[in-house]
Amino acid sequence: MTVDILVPPLSQTADTLVIVAWLKQVGDPVTKGEILFTVETDKAVLEVESPASGILSAVLAEAGAEVKVKSIIGGIAEPGEVLMVVEPGGETLPPERQNRLFASPRARQLTLLKGVPLADLQGKGTGPGGLIVARDVAAYLEAQRASPKVTPLARRMAETAGVDLSQVVPAKPGGAITKADIQSSVNEGLGAPVPPSIPAISEPASPQTPAISAAQVVRLSPTRATIARRMTQSHQTTAPVTYQREADTTRLVKLRKRILKKLTEGTIRPTYTDFLVYMTCRALARHPALNATFDGERLELYESVHMSMAVDSERGLIVPVIREADSKGIADIAWERSRLVEQVLGGTIDPDGLVGGTFTITNLGTLGIDHFTPIINPPQVAILGVGRIREVPAIRKGKIRTRKMLGLSLTCDHRVIDGAPAARFLQELCSLIENPDLIWL
Amino acid sequence: MNLETQSEVPLHELPSLEQLIGMYRTMYLIRRFEERVNELYMEGRIPSTLHLYIGQEAVATGVCANLNQGDYVLSTHRPHGHSLAKGVSPQSIMAELFGKATGCSKGKGGSMHVGDIDLGVLPAIAIVGANVPIASGTALAAKMQKTGGVTVCFFGEGAANEGAWHEGLNIAAIWELPVIFLCENNLYAASTSFSKTFKIQNVAERAGAYGFPGIVVDGNDVLAVYDTAREAVARARNGQGPTLIECMTYRQCGHSRSDPRTYRARDEEDEWKQYDPIPRYRNWLVDQGKAGAAELSHVESDVEQIIQDAIAFAEASPEPTPQDVYLGVFKE
Amino acid sequence: MAQMTIAEALRQAIREEMIRDERVFCVGEDIGIEGGFGGAFTVTLGLSNEFGHDRILDTPISETAIAGVAIGAAVAGMRPIADVQYGDFLFCMMDQLANQAAKLRYMSGGTLSVPMVMRAPVGATARGSQHAQSPEAFFTHIPGLKVVAPATAYDAKGLLKSAVRDDNPVLVFEHKLLYGSKGARSEKGALSPVGDVPDEEYLVPIGEGVVRRPGKDVTIVATLLMLYRALGAAETLSQQGIEAEVIDPRTLVPLDKELILASVRKTGRLVIVEEDNLTNGWGAEIAAIVADDAFVWLDAPIKRVAAPDVPPPFAPPLEREYVPSEQKIVDAVLSIL
Repeated sequence: MTVDILVPPLSQTADTLVIVAWLKQVGDPVTKGEILFTVETDKAVLEVESPASGILSAVLAEAGAEVKVKSIIGGIAEPGEVLMVVEPGGETLPPERQNRLFASPRARQLTLLKGVPLADLQGKGTGPGGLIVARDVAAYLEAQRASPKVTPLARRMAETAGVDLSQVVPAKPGGAITKADIQSSVNEGLGAPVPPSIPAISEPASPQTPAISAAQVVRLSPTRATIARRMTQSHQTTAPVTYQREADTTRLVKLRKRILKKLTEGTIRPTYTDFLVYMTCRALARHPALNATFDGERLELYESVHMSMAVDSERGLIVPVIREADSKGIADIAWERSRLVEQVLGGTIDPDGLVGGTFTITNLGTLGIDHFTPIINPPQVAILGVGRIREVPAIRKGKIRTRKMLGLSLTCDHRVIDGAPAARFLQELCSLIENPDLIWL
Repeated sequence: MNLETQSEVPLHELPSLEQLIGMYRTMYLIRRFEERVNELYMEGRIPSTLHLYIGQEAVATGVCANLNQGDYVLSTHRPHGHSLAKGVSPQSIMAELFGKATGCSKGKGGSMHVGDIDLGVLPAIAIVGANVPIASGTALAAKMQKTGGVTVCFFGEGAANEGAWHEGLNIAAIWELPVIFLCENNLYAASTSFSKTFKIQNVAERAGAYGFPGIVVDGNDVLAVYDTAREAVARARNGQGPTLIECMTYRQCGHSRSDPRTYRARDEEDEWKQYDPIPRYRNWLVDQGKAGAAELSHVESDVEQIIQDAIAFAEASPEPTPQDVYLGVFKE
Repeated sequence: MAQMTIAEALRQAIREEMIRDERVFCVGEDIGIEGGFGGAFTVTLGLSNEFGHDRILDTPISETAIAGVAIGAAVAGMRPIADVQYGDFLFCMMDQLANQAAKLRYMSGGTLSVPMVMRAPVGATARGSQHAQSPEAFFTHIPGLKVVAPATAYDAKGLLKSAVRDDNPVLVFEHKLLYGSKGARSEKGALSPVGDVPDEEYLVPIGEGVVRRPGKDVTIVATLLMLYRALGAAETLSQQGIEAEVIDPRTLVPLDKELILASVRKTGRLVIVEEDNLTNGWGAEIAAIVADDAFVWLDAPIKRVAAPDVPPPFAPPLEREYVPSEQKIVDAVLSIL
């Protein structure tokens, strides 16, 4: 068995090291504990011991090469073992190509035309070497028609009502099965005559302790269970710090009033949240570190801002995503926000519309909250909590005036974003809010 | 061969006075054109390299004086003299050297591919020897069309060692084609001397190997060239087949503009300058009372003006546009 | 309408053009000799009896002269049909074709033209390396030359007539095993397709390809003998439920690109078959064109089935390995499905 030679995590700050020299050549015998190679960190040149005894069978990175910590740079084989050629790994590919989906150009065209997410076809390629080809897209579309998606709400309803989902045809051809479809099915008598189950589970009381009976035991809906799981994950893995600040929205309020007056009939009226989305995108352009995801190992920054918006629904907190919010004007943001909210509330939101966000905005201002400590939406690294707008007396130019102050609560993951950058972002955002003219810059 | 005086072989038919003066004019035109073009090149005003004809004017002049407009001329990388002698306008050649759209080849050919098909001059062919079978082809066409036209194929002695040369001569011989193979033996093929590349004394000897006459003539004696060519042209027009004429001459300049001529002795060069065909002919004309010095001076200043006008024309002409690159490949 | 072989169709084309235009003549080796074979593959048989030896010119073994004479005569207003006895001999006249015929018009600034035809038989026929090449690719790469490759009697007559009437140098590639030559000059293992040829005058335009067999699963492009192998492969594939669309470009320069692109847009897959060596063949050019202009329509990599990069061998089993077989075409198609 070849033992891998790994780059040890010897640097406090960097995740790459530079190999200075190999003290052995391929084919040389090595003893465990013997110095095998030296590396340079940003602070010093350090010696690395051989992890095993045997024959140095492969060297994948030469002196002078910069290598990632924990990557494989060689191998030690048992004496007598056939020296295997170790394939250089995917380290040579740039990150964006390492998880590439292999699909033919025709298949890719088809997915674009038909609105099929290419990722859904992963592993389903039937072309040469597992290539995703046109017929796989066709098969996917066929399967879609055959078994449509079901919204979580509809699924719960169906379960409760005892409706067989394979019997339900969605009202919208090619669309998902919604609550309305389940309702129609029930009306048509497709439901099983089973009363809604509210299981009463009571623990048998032990003689010593008095029995505590629950008033009602509610089984977690899939949505709720998901939320519970994600909140736990966020709480346990991130290092959240919340920064709070007030922004003077007096000018913004006036600006919004003027804009509303100019809107044509039927246009969606932008809310303060919409304005905040717009301004946050502008601020993120200058503070890209907050428009990122972090999985504990890899930090990915994004060119576009895909804005997650927290929406309160009867099922729980649902967070749809406005894709490429940074390239949308305020009217488009408002339109899309309203469309997404409608879908969330109506239970018609496409599950694809709930993933891929790079930053989250959550607004509790309408419910009277000034400041709070929003919890990070993993794997994102930052979330902006918006409070209410209050009228507050303030002294401006020696006179007492009332200003409309907005509470902002920004939580950042301190694993990757320190306090100063977070505060600077908040400063930038407040600056934009307080002086909307700065948008032009 | 006595190169100092004009040919002593009696001419079968002396050209008319007009033709005699005309030949002087042509030789002088070629000489001055090449000298001026050389100056322009040194001044950096001409984009390409040049292969100048200085010293060999009598050959082109003597031969082409026997040709009609419909007769074909195949030339080489050293074509200015042939084209001028056949009547291609100095303006169109000059413009071509300058790479202008008004050039005889519309700027697509350059110095080594000047010509004018309306005057029977194909764009000169710069692959040594390749023009020979093509000349047999134009001669074949004339024979098939019964026009009585002939083809003159100019080449240097170096071409006589190319395979294409031999194939072209042989096929002209067996089909008795109306073609004159005109060898300008200037003793050097680029830098390699004749004696290094031939075991025989004259290229003309090879004509016999293919079964037709080969004649050696003093290439710096315009009348001797004229006379010999006249006979060969008559043979061809009469259907008697090809002739090979070898004109012994000397290139006074380098092979091209980038040739410092270190492979020739300066003594040799000086010696040949004595046989310069132009003063030689001028003297003959004056001595024989064919033309007065004043008249010839007049011809000379005429020629200077023509060349001057040609340069002005070339400079004033537009360059081809980038789109022109795509034109002229196929005939639609 | 008459049934005739390709050799007969070519002969008829030459004859009709020579009657129609007195400027047309033939020049080549062994083409008009009394009691001779009428060219190595009988195409000019009998023509010297009709037109005389002044219009059917027999030459010495002088490929350079054949080409040069054709070029010169064409520039001077004739319309020669020259030929080489074997396509391999085109290399002997390469300077005349590549530096002279192809370039003269351009070098003259478009003031002259070279309306000549050069015919060449190609294909491996157990004669050894120097009488077996399919060298079309060399000539498709020379600006100034047109290249055609007729595979049927109808196309042979129509394309040769078009070539004679074209004012540019046209190379006409004919396959030795498709001539249908009879008697002493018949070829062992020949395919000898016989086809319908109309009695009335017709031309096949240069630059137009044709779909020989429609299909929806894969596009196969092939010329000359390979066309027939491709059609055979298509039959085999059809039995497996795979419908191949077989295209015969007929002209290689100028190529009928749109015909091929439209087919690939439909099928998403392309296989090119050529009897020439694989590397840098004309198939590579078609692959590049399709990868460029029909990229998003491709559902699979483009495959070329060609001869290996070796000189054509002699021994029959070697030649069978060298010349692409129906099975190799079938395998190529299956590998991309």
